[in-house]
Amino acid sequence: MLRFMRLSTVSFRYSRRGPWILRDVELTVRPGSVIEVTGRNGAGKSTLLRLMAGFVPPSQGSIADRPKVIGYAPDVFPVEQPFTVAAYLAHMSRIRGLSSSASTAGDLAERLNAAHLLDQPLGDLSKGSAQKIGLIQSLLAPPDLLILDEPFAGLDEQTRTELPVIIEEIAARGGTVVVSDHQNQLRHFPGADHWLVANGDVTVGARDSAAPPTAAPQDSPVPRDIPPPQDASTSRDTPGARHSPDVSKELSPPPRSPSESSSPQVVIEVIVDAGDADEVEQKLRADGYLTRRSS
Amino acid sequence: MIHLVRFKLSAYARSHRLFQPTIGLFAMLFVFYSTLAPPGKELPAYADSAGLLILVFAWAARGLLDTEPPTQRLISMTAAGRPGREIGAGLLAALTVNLGMAAIAVGLPLLHGFAAMPTPADLASGVALHGLGVSAGTALGALTSRPILASPAVSMLALLGGYLALLLISLTPAGHLAVPIMPWMRAANAGLLGEVLLPVSAATLFWTAASLLLYTRLRRLNP
Repeated sequence: MLRFMRLSTVSFRYSRRGPWILRDVELTVRPGSVIEVTGRNGAGKSTLLRLMAGFVPPSQGSIADRPKVIGYAPDVFPVEQPFTVAAYLAHMSRIRGLSSSASTAGDLAERLNAAHLLDQPLGDLSKGSAQKIGLIQSLLAPPDLLILDEPFAGLDEQTRTELPVIIEEIAARGGTVVVSDHQNQLRHFPGADHWLVANGDVTVGARDSAAPPTAAPQDSPVPRDIPPPQDASTSRDTPGARHSPDVSKELSPPPRSPSESSSPQVVIEVIVDAGDADEVEQKLRADGYLTRRSS
Repeated sequence: MIHLVRFKLSAYARSHRLFQPTIGLFAMLFVFYSTLAPPGKELPAYADSAGLLILVFAWAARGLLDTEPPTQRLISMTAAGRPGREIGAGLLAALTVNLGMAAIAVGLPLLHGFAAMPTPADLASGVALHGLGVSAGTALGALTSRPILASPAVSMLALLGGYLALLLISLTPAGHLAVPIMPWMRAANAGLLGEVLLPVSAATLFWTAASLLLYTRLRRLNP
């Protein structure tokens, strides 16, 4: 039976005199949960994922009851390895102690639209194709804890649609899925928890329960998740408050710290070509700003 | 863990990194045995070979541990089940490569290098000394590998400087307490290796173990 994974007063810094990346983080992760981790560049999302995966120990505090079988898909899959895709996946399967490796890898490759890549050298893969191989290797053994670092970057539409389904299957089986997601592709995932990493802390948002079951396509014409500014004492990522009609509040940047929450806020309207809208919106979100589309 | 060792060895063999220390190995063996070692001098030749090839063993270990991209090491940690297995598999793979190189270093002069075949005792001592060289070289290579020293230039300088430091320290009166390379060479030349082999082995293995513990500790902090 899977147990709750607990992070108790976890702090982390990369060197003894370096700045704290995370301070006194307290988190409980229930089996079967899907967690979307967001935050600005350099906020500590990847560090949090590394701690959860067990790659590095906390500088202070402890992590208890980490699941045994962990899948990890990095944000950039390392293609500079002298193997074909099939040979690489066969090695990864054997390392994981799997017997029916070929069929497992093949099935996953079919689902992620990567079967045609199996005979290619890793070094010949495009970024999106490499991302798929990173996902496949993380799923070879049914993971109790699946950690995905920016998994949607560079994926084609079919895979972008299929991945939330796979995540849902893992969660339904009792596995925990933690996704660092600049692009907020899981913002409408039913039952997903939302963690915001900022200022060395992790703020846990409310669970999303009213949204449609799959990730919205990038070119969704509807206004996109726009939480209103909140008090510093509450979560900054409360899905239940996402569709407020108060545009002047919706477009405000989120407070950077409690002391800044009362600072003046302004609304800036940016007009871009329709084809560039997704990219601009993702960049603004990556920098921690809230956005809304008017058409 | 054996499958992870195979994966690392396979990646190393398919990369160009294996060629560099292999060429170094054969170049040094060519120099050592360009003139046949006279009868009775087989053990001193083995002692010199074991001491000087530490540099090649360190080079090979460093190259193997550098082969896997940093992100792949993280993937391998999750695939293997825990980080310690990935670290252990890397060291085991490096040790395997170096044992193969040591086998060449011991076996090649038997084919061409010695004017006469060494006695079984000298052969056994030669094997033991190369084993010590492999252990010291693997540890030095691990401590200068990319996970520990990210800069290739610094890493190479540390490897060469570390080996020279080992040689120089072993020339001093404290040499018996360090990795005693020069003492084992001198003892072999003086025909006294049997008297010092035990303390020489103990000192070498102690420093190897300490270095590998340090490497493991540093890798846990910087996977």
